[in-house]
Amino acid sequence: MDIRALLFTPALIVLLLGLLSMGSNGRDSVSLQGEGSSFLYPQIQAWASEFTARNPGIIINYNPTGSGAGQSSFLKGVVDFAGSDPPLSRDVWEESWDRVVQMPVVIGMVAIVYNVPGVDELRLDGEVLALIYLGVIEYWDDERIRALNPGEDLPHERIIAVHRSDSSGTTQVFTLFLHKSAPDVWGEDLVGKSIEWPVDDTGRGIGGKGNQGVLEAVRSNLYSIGYVEYAYAIKNNMKTAAIMNREGEFIKPSMEAAQAAALGALDSIPDSPDGDWSRAFQDIVYAPGSGSYPITSWSFLLFYKSYNDPAKADAVRRFIQWINVEGQAHIVDGYIPVPAQVRQVNLKAVEMIHG
Amino acid sequence: MRDWRRVKERIFLAVTSILAMVAVAPLFHIIASVAIRGGGVLYRAGLDFLTSQPAPPGSSMLGGIGPALLGTLWLALLTSAIGIPLSVLTAVFIVEFKDHPLARLAKVFTSSLLEIPTVLIGMLVFLTIVSMMGHYSLLAGSIALAIVMLPYTVSYVERAMEEVPRTYREAGYSIGMTRSQVVFDVVMGIARRGVAAGVVIGLAKIVSETAPLLFTIGSARSSYPMSMKDVFEPGDAVPLLIFQFAQTPYQNWQDLAWGAALILTVIVLALFAAMKLIVREVHL
Repeated sequence: MDIRALLFTPALIVLLLGLLSMGSNGRDSVSLQGEGSSFLYPQIQAWASEFTARNPGIIINYNPTGSGAGQSSFLKGVVDFAGSDPPLSRDVWEESWDRVVQMPVVIGMVAIVYNVPGVDELRLDGEVLALIYLGVIEYWDDERIRALNPGEDLPHERIIAVHRSDSSGTTQVFTLFLHKSAPDVWGEDLVGKSIEWPVDDTGRGIGGKGNQGVLEAVRSNLYSIGYVEYAYAIKNNMKTAAIMNREGEFIKPSMEAAQAAALGALDSIPDSPDGDWSRAFQDIVYAPGSGSYPITSWSFLLFYKSYNDPAKADAVRRFIQWINVEGQAHIVDGYIPVPAQVRQVNLKAVEMIHG
Repeated sequence: MRDWRRVKERIFLAVTSILAMVAVAPLFHIIASVAIRGGGVLYRAGLDFLTSQPAPPGSSMLGGIGPALLGTLWLALLTSAIGIPLSVLTAVFIVEFKDHPLARLAKVFTSSLLEIPTVLIGMLVFLTIVSMMGHYSLLAGSIALAIVMLPYTVSYVERAMEEVPRTYREAGYSIGMTRSQVVFDVVMGIARRGVAAGVVIGLAKIVSETAPLLFTIGSARSSYPMSMKDVFEPGDAVPLLIFQFAQTPYQNWQDLAWGAALILTVIVLALFAAMKLIVREVHL
C-alpha cells in the first residue's frame, strides 16, 4: 500500500465515523460539567451516580484539578459549576455576585495524625502544634506536651513534623488554625496554601505530596506527626489527636464535632446564596461553641444564576434541590453534612437560577 | 600478569552486570507489583471491569473503567489522525529541505518541544482550544497529545530517512522519478520500518500521558463516548483515572486504579513489543 495513503488512514477512519454519526442525534441527555476541589471530588462523584440513577438523562461530570483551577475555569465559563474549598474572595465576589451563587455542601476536617507507639491518646493545643511546626519543641516528652497529657508515657524521641509539599487547601486551613489559636506564636505570614515551614530548617520536617503522601510519611517514620483530611485518617485507621478548641475542651474529629463547629460559625454566614461567604471560611476555623472541633472548613459548590440552555438550568436546579435534601443521606465516609440551617439558605438558590 | 588481566575483566563484568540489574530492577518491580495487585482486581471484577462505570467511592462494589477505556481509544484514534500526518510530514520537510530557514526552525522547535513539561502543552490547549470551544472535549485532548507526540515521532522518522544512502535517491532521479516519488516511494519505502517504529513509539508515549489531559478533557467519568459527535464533548482517559483515583483514600477506587494500571501497562508493553518487532526485521 502506498505510504502516502497509510499516513492518512486514521484521518480517513475519523472522517468515515464522522459521516456515520451524522444521522444520529447524539446524546439526548443533559450533561453538567464541574471542576475544582479535589477534596470534594469523591463526594461529588458519589452524588452524581446516585442523582443520575434517579434522574436518568442528567449526567454530572467533575474534573478534580483543585479549587483555584475550578474557580478560574468557572469564571471563564468553561464549566457549568465549580467545587471550591475557599469561597470566592471578597474582591471577586463583589464583581460577580450578580451572576454567581455559592453554597457550602459539606464540612471537612483536618485530622492530626501521629505515629508514637504506646501513646493511644494524645491531646494538643494550637500553641503546642505551632511550636512543633516552628521547630521549637523538639522532643515528645517536652514539658509543654506533658502538661497537656498528664499520665501519658511520652518517649524522649525527636518529633518529625510532616507537612504538605504541594500547594493545598488543607495546609491553608491548618495554618489558619495555628494562627487563630496562637497568634503570638504563629504569625499571619505563615498562613497559606504553601508556606516556608520553619521546622524544615531544623532537619526535622518532612514534606509529603498530597494527603496520601503525608499519611505515608507519618506511617513510615516513627515519632512523626502530620495533618491530613479526616477521610484519610479514618480510612487508614490512624490515631488522631484531640485538639483544644476555643472553649478549652479537647476534641477529636467526629461528625458531631464538625457540625458543632459549623453551628458556632453560623453568625457569619450570609442569608442568601449570592451573599458574601468569604468571612465564613475564616470563621469556622477555631469556632466558638461547646464540642466543636477547631480545624474545620466548609467546601463550596458554585453555580451560575443563568444558563444559556433551559434544560441545563433545570438540571442545575434539580441537582441543587437533590443534594440539599435527599443527597444528605448519601454522604461518603469522611465527609460531614452541613447543618439544616445552612441547607435552608442553600435551597434559596433554586429560585435564583433560570435558563 | 595475564591472570591479573583476567581478574580485572571479571571484576569489570561483574560490576557492570550488577549495575545493569540495579538500573532495570525498578522497572521489573513496577511491572511485577502492577501485575500482582492489578491482576487480583481484574480477576475479581471480571469483564465488567472493561465496560462499567466506576462505583461510588467507599462502596463495596468496584465497577469498571468503561468510559475511560473508550476515551483512551478515541484519543488514540484522533491523535493518530492529527499526529501521524503532522509529524511524518514535518520530518520529511526537515530532511528534504535542510537548508530552508523554515526547516531549520521546525527542527529546533520540535526538538525543544521535548524539553517542555507536557502539562504546559495542556495549558496552552486550554487557553486556545478549550476557551474557544467553551468547554472540555476529547478533541482538545487529542490536539494536546498530537503536540506531545510530535517530537518523538519526528526525530525517529527523521533519523530513519537520514540513514537511507544517497545513492538510492540518485538512482531514483536518474530514472526520471519526481521528487515526491523519490521521497515517498524510494526513501520512505526503504525507511518504512523506522517510520513505523516512530509512529508506534509516539502512540505508546501518548496513551500513557496524563498531564496534557488534566486541563483539556474534563475527566468525564460518567459518559460513554460512542460516536464522532461525542468527540466534541468532555471525556475520560485511563491514565487520568489512575492519577486521580490513586490519590483518594477509598479502597475500591485504589483497586480500580491498580486494575487500570495493569491494563495500561499491557497496552504500552504491547505497543513497545510491536515496535521492537518492526525494527528488528530491517533488511535493505
